[in-house]
Amino acid sequence: MEVLSALATGFSVAFTPLNLFLVLFGCFTGTLIGSLPGIGPINGVAILLPLAYSIGLPPESALILLAGVYYGAEYGGRISSILLNVPGDAGAIMTTLDGYPMSKRGEGGRALAISAVSSFAGSMGALLMMVIMAPLLSELAIRFGPTEYVMLMVFAFTCLATMVGSRPIKTLIGTLIGLVLATVGVDSGTGVLRFTMDIPNFFDGVDFLVVVIGVFAISEVLVLLEQWVNNDLKVTPVGKSFVTFADIVKVRWVILRATVIGFFIGVLPGTGASIASAVAYGTEKRMAEGDSDEFGKGDIRGLAAPEAANNASAAGAMVPMLTLGIPGSGTTAILLGALLMFNITPGPLLFEQKPEIAWGLIASMFLGNIALLVLNLPLIGVFVRLLSIRQSYLIPVIVMLTFVGIYSIHGDSFDLFFMVILGIFGFILRKLHFSLAPVILGLVLGEVLEENLRRSLSMSGGDWSILLNGNITIGLAIASVLALVLPFLLKRIKGKGRTAQLQAELDD
Amino acid sequence: MYDRIFAGALLLLSGLIAWAAAQFDVPFQYEPLGPKAFPYILSALLAVAAVWLMIRPSADGWKPTKEVVLRLGGALVLMYGYAFIYEPLGFIIATAVVGGVFSWLFGEKPIKAGVYALVMSVVSFFLLTDLLQLNVPVGTVFGG
Repeated sequence: MEVLSALATGFSVAFTPLNLFLVLFGCFTGTLIGSLPGIGPINGVAILLPLAYSIGLPPESALILLAGVYYGAEYGGRISSILLNVPGDAGAIMTTLDGYPMSKRGEGGRALAISAVSSFAGSMGALLMMVIMAPLLSELAIRFGPTEYVMLMVFAFTCLATMVGSRPIKTLIGTLIGLVLATVGVDSGTGVLRFTMDIPNFFDGVDFLVVVIGVFAISEVLVLLEQWVNNDLKVTPVGKSFVTFADIVKVRWVILRATVIGFFIGVLPGTGASIASAVAYGTEKRMAEGDSDEFGKGDIRGLAAPEAANNASAAGAMVPMLTLGIPGSGTTAILLGALLMFNITPGPLLFEQKPEIAWGLIASMFLGNIALLVLNLPLIGVFVRLLSIRQSYLIPVIVMLTFVGIYSIHGDSFDLFFMVILGIFGFILRKLHFSLAPVILGLVLGEVLEENLRRSLSMSGGDWSILLNGNITIGLAIASVLALVLPFLLKRIKGKGRTAQLQAELDD
Repeated sequence: MYDRIFAGALLLLSGLIAWAAAQFDVPFQYEPLGPKAFPYILSALLAVAAVWLMIRPSADGWKPTKEVVLRLGGALVLMYGYAFIYEPLGFIIATAVVGGVFSWLFGEKPIKAGVYALVMSVVSFFLLTDLLQLNVPVGTVFGG
């Protein structure tokens, strides 16, 4: 019952006119951003974050807006996947497999509607699990001391390294780069300046926003420019087909399974929508053995599974972010950074001390998903028409927004130069097949990790064995070793074929 | 090959981190680790990872054509220039010029691109300053 009254508090926050407007605006913008080819949720949230910060929104409203963009973009990603065969981001790749064949058959409308319903069911299911799990997890996390946090982060980075990106070693390097960036600036323990190169702008650390926008948005513009070819993409017509009751009955268990899979993969630190949708798709294909010929040729089960899963994982990824302060994906890492900018430290106490933020966000997500279903069923035509916006009109706006956003934080041109340099760096990383999310996770978690490590060793007087002093820490250590070893074992057992293919798909 | 070059740079970086950390002048410190230990750990891990990558690099996947390199170079010069003129010339002029060239880089005809960028920059200036009340530079050359 406690949960219900907490949820009621949340709805009272979400129903204020400003927040209601921001939910709707965020969901609409998110769907739009997600549906534009090439610009995924991460870029959308990154570009809007400095603006939300500079116009002085209260923290819970800013978070509600950014979260709306995040899961709105997970909905929107399917539009370009289905109609153009161009996924908006990695999480939408699996949607192209069965979505595009359907739209080529003239069933674009049916595909869009099924995916909207699956997305909705996935989100709502995951939100319910979130309402149940988040308070439990935060009760567990209240007993976490510095040593537990250190081991938890080790576990998060291990999960990240073995499950995200093309090669574990590259993910590890990306995380280390992020951690190194986090050490720049004045050391809070002793006041010593570290790695500032005598540049005053670095004295209080490398600005999180500048890194996020540089590494993601600026490098994205460069990638779009590189891939640009002088012909317009062909949008397959939506047609008059629509989802039938029989369709939904046929995929109801598929959606349920995919929701559970997606949610728990989302909760795992570091693993986001791309892995969730891939695993859900793979599971359904195996479940349908003997009847799986249609997969890849336009089977509605192959469309519903990844869509339910990637939306469920978006909600799941919020759980560790809110309860432990450890983001479950690249985009939630940015949301975490946003909270830190507002001087709010997510963690077990967030639910008790700032219920308006934690529960307000959760309540707003319920509203947002209903709004998204409405946006995505009757109003789908609007977004489809927006698909044909030409890049020559879109890119100048994106470049402008990145500059306006970064300049508005400090009013200093230095940040703009630094942002462009980081953009070049991000572009190089992408061309070498490094994923960028680990860099951001390292940057966001670096300070917390170091602080907790130093506190732990202060407690033990320099004895490192304190890191394995209790049941929780030992459990996390074992989990880390398993996360490191299991993927390799599984690969051995199952043979290389499928995993390698999956990796190659996620890689791009 | 790219991976090897990058790994070499990382190795250099890890050395620099360790060297710079060793130079920190720590006047007092109450805890056993202090500000140097974490950078040392990162530097060591980075060095190991870099050597690993050097031994087992991935195949080079990126083979841009001359035109792509030119366009990318152009975009970089453009963004750097944008950062350079953003404050002195102000938002409207800088955005109109840079936005126009970007629109042209993405295939728009020059005149249409220019008109579009001019309209975009003027409209967004008033949206950003009046509606969102953001800190948008008017241009120091105009005394703003």
